[in-house]
Amino acid sequence: MLQLLLFIGGLAASLALVIKSADIFVDNIVEIGTNLGISEIILGVTASAVGTSLPEFGSAMMAILTGNPDIGVGVAVGANIWNIGGILGISTIVTGVLTAQKEELHRDGLMTLLTAVVLAVSIYFLGNISRVLGIVLIAMYIIYFWVLIRAHKNHTSPEKEDTYVDLKDKKRILSKKSIFWAVLGLIGLAVGCRIIVYCTVELSAIANISAGLAGILLAFGTTTPEFFTVLTSARKGLNSLAIGTVFGSNIFNILIGLGIPSIIVQIPVDPSTIYFNAPVMVLITILLLVLIKQGMKLTRIKGIILVAFYIAYIVTRLLFIN
Amino acid sequence: MYEKILVATMGEYMDEIMEHTLDLLENRKIEVIGIYVVETSVPFLTPKKVKEMMITELRAKGREILKKMEKIFEAPGCQEIKFKKILAEGDPAEEIVKTAELEGVDLIILGTGKNIVDKRLLGSVSEKVVHSTPCTILLVKTT
Repeated sequence: MLQLLLFIGGLAASLALVIKSADIFVDNIVEIGTNLGISEIILGVTASAVGTSLPEFGSAMMAILTGNPDIGVGVAVGANIWNIGGILGISTIVTGVLTAQKEELHRDGLMTLLTAVVLAVSIYFLGNISRVLGIVLIAMYIIYFWVLIRAHKNHTSPEKEDTYVDLKDKKRILSKKSIFWAVLGLIGLAVGCRIIVYCTVELSAIANISAGLAGILLAFGTTTPEFFTVLTSARKGLNSLAIGTVFGSNIFNILIGLGIPSIIVQIPVDPSTIYFNAPVMVLITILLLVLIKQGMKLTRIKGIILVAFYIAYIVTRLLFIN
Repeated sequence: MYEKILVATMGEYMDEIMEHTLDLLENRKIEVIGIYVVETSVPFLTPKKVKEMMITELRAKGREILKKMEKIFEAPGCQEIKFKKILAEGDPAEEIVKTAELEGVDLIILGTGKNIVDKRLLGSVSEKVVHSTPCTILLVKTT
């Protein structure tokens, strides 16, 4: 019992460490990038895309590299299903309505679906995530990132351009403080992710559940930044940011979260992910896009449908597939 | 009766609020302050960059709403109305009350806001303002 409490405490503490370290890391990397003269648009897009997804990425990467690939894949796929069914569903129930823009739905929504389909189909035929597939996933992300930057450039208001000019005119001196905090953030992220994986492995052994299922449950914790970002932006009426965070995170989790580690080591995928989790991820993405397409908004009823879908999924996963 | 009024809006229900405001003013010589409050609070674990992004977006939204409001008061039939806009940051209810006190307004106009379910889930700015208002309030029933 004491051991169980110790691991749960360790997991919670390491999750908090990872989330805070990711925040510090992104914040200071943006600062360093600004000082190096990297475009504010590129930094802004990177910060928003990477910022909330670093805990999943770090945990998945660490799990895969330490010989626990089922946890790694479980975190990435589990986070994607939870992002839509849980986070977006709950946020819509709380706020009542979330409107979507056509452009974002067509660009980010379809890319989210394409990402899910590519992963589901590839692992169905290959049974693993190979280096070649990893390169394809990363290449897809680079293309998507380029499209995003182009879109942001087209939408940059004159006021934002003024700010950009001001930043460009600043003397570009690399701040030692920023480098120190970025490195410290990265160390915190790595150490925290290692503890997360260790605690998850131990807890799954104590609870007698599979590593894949443990990874899916771990996604509840690693998606905390997404949860607060989506719920808060939805409450503030920033609908594009709310829906965009979910799309951006889901794309990043697969293309980078699984793409990068697969370059280093081939990732074996367990049958429950091939035949159940990945198809569910594709289905819930299709469901979301269909629900948004009707009236270009999510309503409270649609939010309930998403949450109900997630509950049905997690109950089935817990009771029938270990 | 009123010489200086504060019209608060978060963008939603603006048409209804403005319709009631214009009806009440009837182009009298009066000073109107339009206020939009950028709500800056976020939960503890929200990434800093995301918070900054939210505030930037809300500032832009606020400026747009206040500009729309200004246009309405510049329309023919509103020549006697002197309009001033304020973009504040912080807790909406607190900022509305604080501005009302600082500016010495005699009336605050705002919408009743959300339905009962939304009020329970999201809280209500108008309810908070009612409890600490320094002057008379006109709550416009919004649908």
